[in-house]
Amino acid sequence: MKRQIAYFLVVFVGFLALAGHFIHYAPLNDFIDNDATQWFDIIAGFAAFLGVINLLQLHLNKVANKRQNWEYSIFTLFGFILMIIFGFIYNGSGFDMGPHLKKEGSAFYWMFKNIYLPLGASMFALLAFFVASASYRAFKIRNFEATLLLISGIFLMIGRVPIGQLIPWWITLEIYICLFFAIVANKFNDKKIMLYSLITSMITIPLIILFLDLTNLSILKIPEFQEWIMNVPATAGSRAIMIGIALGTIAQSYRIITGRERSILGD
Amino acid sequence: MNKYLKYLILPFLILFIYYLNPFDLFLIGNETTFICVILICFVVEYFIEKAKNGEEIYMRPIAAIKAMEEAVGRATEMGKPVLYIPGISSLDEIDTISGLIILGHVAEMTAEYESNLHVPVCVPIVMETAKETCKESYLKKGRPDLYRNDMVHYVTDDQFAYAAGVNGIMLREKPAAIFFQGKFYAESLILAETGNSIGAIQIAGTGSSSQIPFFVTACDYTLIGEEFYAASAYLSGSPEMLGSIKGQDYVKVGCIILIILVFICSILNSYGYVNFDISSIFRVNVIK
Repeated sequence: MKRQIAYFLVVFVGFLALAGHFIHYAPLNDFIDNDATQWFDIIAGFAAFLGVINLLQLHLNKVANKRQNWEYSIFTLFGFILMIIFGFIYNGSGFDMGPHLKKEGSAFYWMFKNIYLPLGASMFALLAFFVASASYRAFKIRNFEATLLLISGIFLMIGRVPIGQLIPWWITLEIYICLFFAIVANKFNDKKIMLYSLITSMITIPLIILFLDLTNLSILKIPEFQEWIMNVPATAGSRAIMIGIALGTIAQSYRIITGRERSILGD
Repeated sequence: MNKYLKYLILPFLILFIYYLNPFDLFLIGNETTFICVILICFVVEYFIEKAKNGEEIYMRPIAAIKAMEEAVGRATEMGKPVLYIPGISSLDEIDTISGLIILGHVAEMTAEYESNLHVPVCVPIVMETAKETCKESYLKKGRPDLYRNDMVHYVTDDQFAYAAGVNGIMLREKPAAIFFQGKFYAESLILAETGNSIGAIQIAGTGSSSQIPFFVTACDYTLIGEEFYAASAYLSGSPEMLGSIKGQDYVKVGCIILIILVFICSILNSYGYVNFDISSIFRVNVIK
């Protein structure tokens, strides 16, 4: 019976929320836009206490039983208690309790500004190093797709820095020619023929482009080419994923509000 | 055949009533969304009905889903824990709900294999739901004795503090399998790269399109886009759920056809062969 009530609530509130977006009935629209979200916030607020209790329970247990790595729990508990003291008990300034949380000069604010923020910033800064190591792995030439990723990545990097603007059209063209030969290199049985073809292409193609007065082509300007990569192939790919995500979201929501997906209720 | 006729008549009847808008019943400005929602829901419902009536549903094998059991098995063999990270958003995000549904299936696997599951959580309300999900999964598998109260625990609400906490857990406990299933933001790469550095098998799934490239790079398997939402249906194996995925795929085919149609019509429009700009009817109207 308890579970049936839960299913009923999920189905009822789900359809109510959906109807609130399409039915013209002011109390319903108001409920969906304001009251329902406030109810959620209130419930989530109460859950915060449970989170705090869980945190304390877990770490106190760890310290009391001297479980593996219990020393770290002391730091967690110390930080927790310290913030509680500076937040609720000791102000350290002339401000009233409550507003002191956002006033410069209070002990809580000092801790927030000098400990909490730098630690958060440090974690965020780590991202730069992780991006470098992840890029290194992604750009390793393993197959055609990885090679394509590497080439696009290099063009994007060059195109987005000032030096990219200074690269003349003929160097860009030579890069393209070299890349083309790098891709088709395994098709040549005789490497000498490949070398002669590469040299001939590197000399003749720029001359042809110059003769035909095609030096202003966008593809020969790396900043414009990288812009095209971002606007066309990258956008097309991300939009395809977005459409999939949108359809998946609708189907998943439909399964939940029609009571078919019950594992969230522990069924 | 007749029993499926309602799936053709009903949506168009609803759309007709919507068009007439009697007693000013419907909100103006949400037409495109309404039409899409009605059509998609009925297509999905139609395939669910067909699946319930015994039609065989073929499911394309998804490597990431197949690898979930392997990952738990590997962790069991190595005697190391399984780490499950349900993202950093609250329950108002469908990604978090999907992540918790998958958690239920993963918890069933860990209960079956008697492996150690560890779920650090960022939002208290998610912690309570995750606890219930795990408890039920262990009960379902007949192993309530293996469920521990500290299996799911709260770390912190702050994004980077959470990332630091989970990284610490990864480096200290060296889990053999790590699941990232939920809504992630900038912390995704910090977590996934740390997991990669300890040599854990990593399976990610998210609906955050901006984080997918990071997971693809750093994880062994990634559920991309709709695969993430389909994973729970796929893992449950029930015909009803699989039918909904088939319906979703048919809607996708419909979308592809519409995109091609709009593309052709837009070209004809730009050259002056057609006076009507068809793309204008697909522009999303959002009230407020």
